[in-house]
Amino acid sequence: MIMLEITNLHAGYAGLEVLRGIDISISPNEIVALIGPNGAGKSTVIKSIFNISDVTSGSIVYKGEEITDLHTHELIDFGISYVNQGRVIFSNLTVRENLEIGAELIRDRHVVEKNLSHVFRKFPVLKRKAGQLAYALSGGERQQLALGRALMQNPSLLLLDEPSLGLSPKLQKELFETISQLREDGLSILIVEQNAKKAIQIADKTYLLEDGKIALSGGKDIIKHEKIKNVYLGGRY
Amino acid sequence: MAVVAQLIINGLIAGSIYALVAAGFSLIFSTNKFMHFAHGSSVVIAGYLLFTFFSLWHIPFYLSCLLTVVLTGVLGVVLHRFVYLPLEKKNASTVVLLIASIGLLMLFQNLLQIIFSASVKTIGYVQVAQGVSLFGASITPLQIAIILLSFFLLILLYWFMKYTALGRNMRAIADNKELAEIIGIDHIKVASLSFFIGSALAGIAGILIGLEQNVYPTMGTMLIVKGFTGAVIGGIDFVPGSILGSYLLGLIENIGIWFIPSGYKDALSFALLFIFLLFRPQGLFGINKGVRK
Repeated sequence: MIMLEITNLHAGYAGLEVLRGIDISISPNEIVALIGPNGAGKSTVIKSIFNISDVTSGSIVYKGEEITDLHTHELIDFGISYVNQGRVIFSNLTVRENLEIGAELIRDRHVVEKNLSHVFRKFPVLKRKAGQLAYALSGGERQQLALGRALMQNPSLLLLDEPSLGLSPKLQKELFETISQLREDGLSILIVEQNAKKAIQIADKTYLLEDGKIALSGGKDIIKHEKIKNVYLGGRY
Repeated sequence: MAVVAQLIINGLIAGSIYALVAAGFSLIFSTNKFMHFAHGSSVVIAGYLLFTFFSLWHIPFYLSCLLTVVLTGVLGVVLHRFVYLPLEKKNASTVVLLIASIGLLMLFQNLLQIIFSASVKTIGYVQVAQGVSLFGASITPLQIAIILLSFFLLILLYWFMKYTALGRNMRAIADNKELAEIIGIDHIKVASLSFFIGSALAGIAGILIGLEQNVYPTMGTMLIVKGFTGAVIGGIDFVPGSILGSYLLGLIENIGIWFIPSGYKDALSFALLFIFLLFRPQGLFGINKGVRK
């Protein structure tokens, strides 16, 4: 069974075409990584799914339904959550408010409470700092808060845009462990990453994006491919 | 001593009105990120609505007040939906929106002059009353009502912003509109509601000032300048800050005339506005945009 199927997607921003016909599929309970150089269009894939960039042609089908033109709240209701780049949180709201607002679309108070205690179990530091304003959080805590906020929406598919960017190696390691853990919890995850090696290691399937097209795809053994070795891991690792 | 007490009380009365105007202005600014100077029109239109309902049509006073407040709130929503939103959809900059709001302020001022003439209108609900004595100062029952009612409403607004989901969403949009959209908050609906609440507060300010000082077409312009100054002093995108800033402005203006001729009262507030815009544009209590890395 396929959870998300992207077929021949062309997309971009205000007439500028970034993605030039890509195909990606995500199965339930799977981590899919998108790697590639800056400007290849990795983030645009996620933004197309979340209807933030302009899709010019192609289709995006989620659980059998075409979602290309849906509104944000409809996508969230469908179980798709998006954590954007830069660990963006509401700095002037408390940690608890940041989480509760994530569940804005859930009307059932009990479900919200249940999700909140689930997030607090997963990220104990957020529970400790629940009453504090979020602007005082450290980089790693901000990333946890951004993830926690997305989890408050009860997603089945999580879209993560460069979550490790700017984090220390230690925090990156913790983050990737958390992401693997989320898969164990039953989520599907599409992750856009600049850290190609780490991404390939945790992903079930990796797509290499170059110049708006899929240049290569495969499982964990993709790491042995000449192209990945030379261009993305060469020199750095 | 009695004179000082009188000046402080006068400052509190003025500050109460400014705070009501500034709180609404600030609330609308925080969720929309542009200066709604036509907020002054909401104040003056409320004064004329009360005059029409109560003095001309003889509708019972409290019903007239209720109608006035609701209609002023609706006016704010109408301006948002039919003037600002279409401009925003055409990607108008905040400067364009600012100019539109000043245009609306002038339009309403002139419309009021055409309909009601430029002369002062008296609502005449409150008879001229003997003031009661407080620390040697004189204060009328209406003035006591102005201070208490403003205080109560501003506490209520604070509670609403802090403890309700809608208030939280307003603060979230003020903080980061893009993120608010990503998590599914309908920012247009929230912006419209902040126009309703902010304008209704302006309506209450218009009623109070209409009862205290009569109504005339140009009073909206002066009041929005005072409300704006109070908001700048306190921190324009932080509602509690702009409320405190407004009380401060009222007090400084009125205590200032202890030292300088009362004719310079307005000049004093303009001087304060300049000083803050130059040296502390974020205001005394403005939102801290600092981010810990």
